[in-house]
Amino acid sequence: MTYAGLEPVLIFTLLNVVMVLGLYVTAMSGQLSMATAAIAGVGGYASAVLTVKFGWAFLPAILMASLLSALVGVALALVTLKMRDFILKLTTLAFGEALAVLAFNWDYIGGANSFTGIGLKTTIWTCVIATSVALYVAWRFDGSRLGFAARAVRDDPIAAGAMGVSIAEVRGITFAVGGAVVGMGGAVQGHYMLVISPHELGFFISLNFIIFLLFGGLQTLWGPLFGAILLTALPEMLRFTSEYRLILYGLIITLVVLLRPNGMLTRVPTGREWRLFGYVLTPARPIAPPSAGVKPLPVAATGRPVGQAAAQ
Amino acid sequence: MDLFLQQVANGLVIGSTYAVVAIGFALAFTVLRVINFAHPDIFMVGMFTGLVAATQYPVVGVGLVMLAGMLGAGAVGFVLERTVIAPLRGRDVLMTLIGTLGVAIMLQNGMALIAGPDPVAFPSLLPRRSIDIGPVALTLRQIANFAICLLLLALVSFYVRGTSYGRATRAIAERPDVAAAFGVNVGRICQFTILLASLMAGAAAVSVGMLYGSASAFVGLLYGLKAFICMLVAGNRYFEGVMVVAIAIGIIEALVTGYLSSSLRDAVAFFVMIGVLYYRPNGLFGSYSS
Repeated sequence: MTYAGLEPVLIFTLLNVVMVLGLYVTAMSGQLSMATAAIAGVGGYASAVLTVKFGWAFLPAILMASLLSALVGVALALVTLKMRDFILKLTTLAFGEALAVLAFNWDYIGGANSFTGIGLKTTIWTCVIATSVALYVAWRFDGSRLGFAARAVRDDPIAAGAMGVSIAEVRGITFAVGGAVVGMGGAVQGHYMLVISPHELGFFISLNFIIFLLFGGLQTLWGPLFGAILLTALPEMLRFTSEYRLILYGLIITLVVLLRPNGMLTRVPTGREWRLFGYVLTPARPIAPPSAGVKPLPVAATGRPVGQAAAQ
Repeated sequence: MDLFLQQVANGLVIGSTYAVVAIGFALAFTVLRVINFAHPDIFMVGMFTGLVAATQYPVVGVGLVMLAGMLGAGAVGFVLERTVIAPLRGRDVLMTLIGTLGVAIMLQNGMALIAGPDPVAFPSLLPRRSIDIGPVALTLRQIANFAICLLLLALVSFYVRGTSYGRATRAIAERPDVAAAFGVNVGRICQFTILLASLMAGAAAVSVGMLYGSASAFVGLLYGLKAFICMLVAGNRYFEGVMVVAIAIGIIEALVTGYLSSSLRDAVAFFVMIGVLYYRPNGLFGSYSS
């Protein structure tokens, strides 16, 4: 395959990496947003309107689009603040669909006919820069005080609150940072696709990013990165089986969920030893010496030992 | 006023279809705590097995076509329960969604491979006749669809409230561990629940195929999300609540189509969902704690 044939694949892979990293930051506080595509759409529409209707330059338009997406993210965080875990995810879903319907019926941004006439500004280097920015943000967030606070909120909001972490603040910030990254990705994508249609804001597009994230595993930064790269490239790699490739795609997703419940890339569980041909790859790492004769109580309903964080 | 009544009647017909699919979701979610996103595609498989029966053996009649649809959907549902859904029990809810979504992708594209990606004509089997009830005109097929769905819903309601399996179902929904301690065979009930939901979906699929006169490999997408939302808006404590909400959403959609625009129709369910969940996060009629 020549480079010219490879370039679109590379660009889409990089853009998917940007989006999934934004989603990773959002998900760190335990709130898996199901409106990623909608927030990316906000970014895309915003930068398209700014460049086409107001004659802005590319860079300020992207920055403004990121800012707007961040604001939408904060609004979403505030609406869903008091909701239970599972209902919350579905409310983000409905929020995304509502935005899609809004775009569908708003004639100023093209309505059902899509927004057209966007100039081609995105090159492969734009995507590389955007990916680098997203990676840097996610990496810094991962190790920061805020990142730890976010994970504390994810694992146990009540305990985190009791330790002085403001849940509203942490969730607002994760949604804002994640929204900004996703919005940047959406804006860059808009200037490559040249058309933005309301359908791209829908749930099934968002679901792609969630699949990337859960496929790769959301315990580390590398999980979503790996998931996005592999699953964007996979349908291309399976192209020789053209008719069966979507079936294989579905099969792989189901198998990963069944066999690797925490995703492909996970941290090695504490206390577990990994061997290859008899050689110890990673030695057993007990987190604390267990007291004699005390075993963790199994919970009948889930089968998980008490104290082990939920796979989420 | 005539338009209003006509749209309410149309809404009842479509809403009852949503209700059947939504009950399938609700059964799987309450009993197994699994979001079975393959359920709408089990519905789709039922539609196609019914289609095969109706086109290959044109004289078999509506009842046998429906039986074929139920058998096809039931078989797929049974195999799925054993291979995918049962192992997903006890996992995070979202992971169950993704896992069954993989199955849904397989089923959709597999069927698209067999039957082609475009919609296929579904034989109507019933005479084309329109019946006037007061100011409302309904086709015979609409009435048949409504009657079949209503019958299915009544049967589910009876199953859950009036049989020993139904009592076990409600017990598992409340506390699976305690139900198991009291001698309920949880695995068996889970198996039976998915089978029941699939059989229902198969029957409803055949009647929907007749109603619209077409079958498509991607028909599940249309029903999946909406049926799912119906379940969330109602909460899963009362199956009857899910039915009421599904029918109500069908009616509201029909009214929006009639008075506003059809492009807003698909948004109705989402706006209802945000509004209801903001004030009642457990749904209108309450949910089992998960």
